[in-house]
Amino acid sequence: MAVGGVRVVPASPRASLRVRARELFDREWFLGPVFVTPALLLILLLVAYPFCMALWFSLSNAFIGRPSHWVGLQNFVRLWESDAFRQTFQNAFVFAGAAVALKLVLGISLALLLNQQLWVKRAIRGAVLLPWVIPTALSTLGWLWMFSSLYGVVNWTGIALGLMDPPGPNWLGQKYYAMTAVVTVNVWRGLPFFAITILAGLVSIPRELYEAAEADGAGPVARFWHVTLPLLKPILAIVVLFSTIFTFSDFNIVYVLTRGGPINSTHLFATLSRQIGLESGRIGEGAAISLYLFPVLMFVVWAQLRFVRKQVY
Amino acid sequence: MESIGRRRFLATTAGGGLAGILAARVPPARGQQREISYLCWNNFAPASDKKLAEVGQRFTKDTGIKIRIDHIAHAQQAAKYASEVQSQAGHDLVEMRMHFPWLYEPQLVDVSDVVAELEKKHGKVISSGYEAALVGPAPKGVWRAVPQYHTYFVPTYREDLFKKAGLKVPDTWEDLYTVGRELKKMGNPVGIPISQNYDSISTAGPVLWSFGGMEVDRDGKTVRINSPATEQMVEWYKKMFRDCMEPEVLSWSDASNNESIQAGKAGWIHNPVSAYIVARNNKMVTADGINHHRSLTGPGGRHETDVPRSIAIWKFSKNIEPAKEWIRYLLGKRDVYDEYIISGDAFNLPVYTSLQDHPVLKTDPKFAGLKGEGVQYHIYGWPAPPSDKVQLITNSFILPNMIAKAVTGTSTKEAVAWADKEMKRIISG
Repeated sequence: MAVGGVRVVPASPRASLRVRARELFDREWFLGPVFVTPALLLILLLVAYPFCMALWFSLSNAFIGRPSHWVGLQNFVRLWESDAFRQTFQNAFVFAGAAVALKLVLGISLALLLNQQLWVKRAIRGAVLLPWVIPTALSTLGWLWMFSSLYGVVNWTGIALGLMDPPGPNWLGQKYYAMTAVVTVNVWRGLPFFAITILAGLVSIPRELYEAAEADGAGPVARFWHVTLPLLKPILAIVVLFSTIFTFSDFNIVYVLTRGGPINSTHLFATLSRQIGLESGRIGEGAAISLYLFPVLMFVVWAQLRFVRKQVY
Repeated sequence: MESIGRRRFLATTAGGGLAGILAARVPPARGQQREISYLCWNNFAPASDKKLAEVGQRFTKDTGIKIRIDHIAHAQQAAKYASEVQSQAGHDLVEMRMHFPWLYEPQLVDVSDVVAELEKKHGKVISSGYEAALVGPAPKGVWRAVPQYHTYFVPTYREDLFKKAGLKVPDTWEDLYTVGRELKKMGNPVGIPISQNYDSISTAGPVLWSFGGMEVDRDGKTVRINSPATEQMVEWYKKMFRDCMEPEVLSWSDASNNESIQAGKAGWIHNPVSAYIVARNNKMVTADGINHHRSLTGPGGRHETDVPRSIAIWKFSKNIEPAKEWIRYLLGKRDVYDEYIISGDAFNLPVYTSLQDHPVLKTDPKFAGLKGEGVQYHIYGWPAPPSDKVQLITNSFILPNMIAKAVTGTSTKEAVAWADKEMKRIISG
């Protein structure tokens, strides 16, 4: 076609579609949701759906393969009558409290150590991550052998060093020792997470601040309290938050080491939930056990995130 | 007449055929997949799993039905089955331990027809098989699984050590205390687990029954644990723990007693024959010295824990008839069943009455003690009929925890009262 002597070539429909699509992708109102949708779908499918199912189960008398009915909060109320559940509730706080506190103290110490100019620093940092990398069930099996009261390396070493009287403690057969054992393994496994994350925080603290503190006459302890710790607070809050949630919901360590024994003294919510919900078929009660701490953990998350926000902004 | 072109003919016939298949929702015979899947546990007698695979291949050859056999650790069975039921998808056939058929009853196909055929061939199912898989009161109940084989607990001892020390083979639980004291002095204690595992219940049950006690009565509603018989049983455990055992039994797993006798430590354990089979097959130095003797008795009689296993078909299976064919092939053909039982080395024993004097018991002189004359075999929770509540009592390990409390300092009365309270809470719930 020629118009006024100028030949106009009409744009092909494919090309115009491409242009329109490009324009669409340049607009924030369209591109934003496009990027967010896959993640949102995944969260809905893998987190929201199972969570809602668990919530429904906990409020019903669901039993494997049988029709279920709404029972309100009955499962939550009745659970409190169970000696095993009350013991589990107590265990969870003792276990999580002791393990997170130890991981925090030891994690900071280890991070400070790794922050020094050590020989083969990279190799050491890599080795520290090992407990975090090895599958928990496998490493806990190793601990099971080490804690064996008759043949275990823990008692053997203790006796050889004169720290224990033969035959040594029955680590997994007595309640306080068993709790010590499961806390020890949890600390061993969780320590790298603390150490490496805190180390990342440590290396981001500007050297000038230490130099200024030194110029003001601050010793190593004062530098730690007045420079390192305040600047680490946001990262510590996040690490403690994650660890608290992971530790409360721990399963593998207790399942492999003690299966909740002796006399339920090491049961955690996850292990008791499996025993009641899956092995005995009472899905409703099992779900209620695993959701019992949900409100408490929600509050912890809210409080800690609020703290972090205050620290950052 | 209008001529039909090649393309039109093909389009018409293919379209019509497809529409027919879609309407009928049944694939044509050639397309129908005669394939079934069977999920069972990792048998403690591994040769039996190999034999099962071999029989599966022959079954496919003989019937044209393909079978896929999967195995799973026994500790994972409950979780796996729960997920199959919840998702209404998975295997066609599943292996059921003890009272699993009661737990999954609404999801299981009625297999009474297959059991009737097998009983006609091999005689009645033994009583523990009835307790486990016939759901509802006999004879009107419905078979929700087909009894396959059973494994029972049996006293396993170091015959060589007994002979060396001139110890008499015990006949009662009290006799065991007498010899147990000597065994501990020799450095070979009695190994009975008192921890949160199933072997603990498997021994605590027979001891309780032999002292005349029970957890829950026959009606399934009345808790009977708080009784003089239970107190006697707890007192027996207390003196056994003090004088005949090592404290390590408080942390034992299901495998620990096997390992202890195989390693040359324990002088007496209560376990299925697998402890000896593994020692023998792995040529362990202790194997020759290990033997079995008749189950122990007490004022309430001679009782033993039995673990019947059965095969069930999920209702959601689309291959119910081929699945039944597999059960008939494995358990109904005498030669195949014999071959299968013998491969289990007396760990898997026939569950039908006319096969009780099975040739497998003559394959090793050490199996003579397994004949079990005068022994009454029961599943957990006896005499209460299986139910979700009795199952919860078992799975909550109340019996071993009651004993563990007593042997670690709680008074007998307090420990029994605790068990009574916990059981009543479950039964009333």
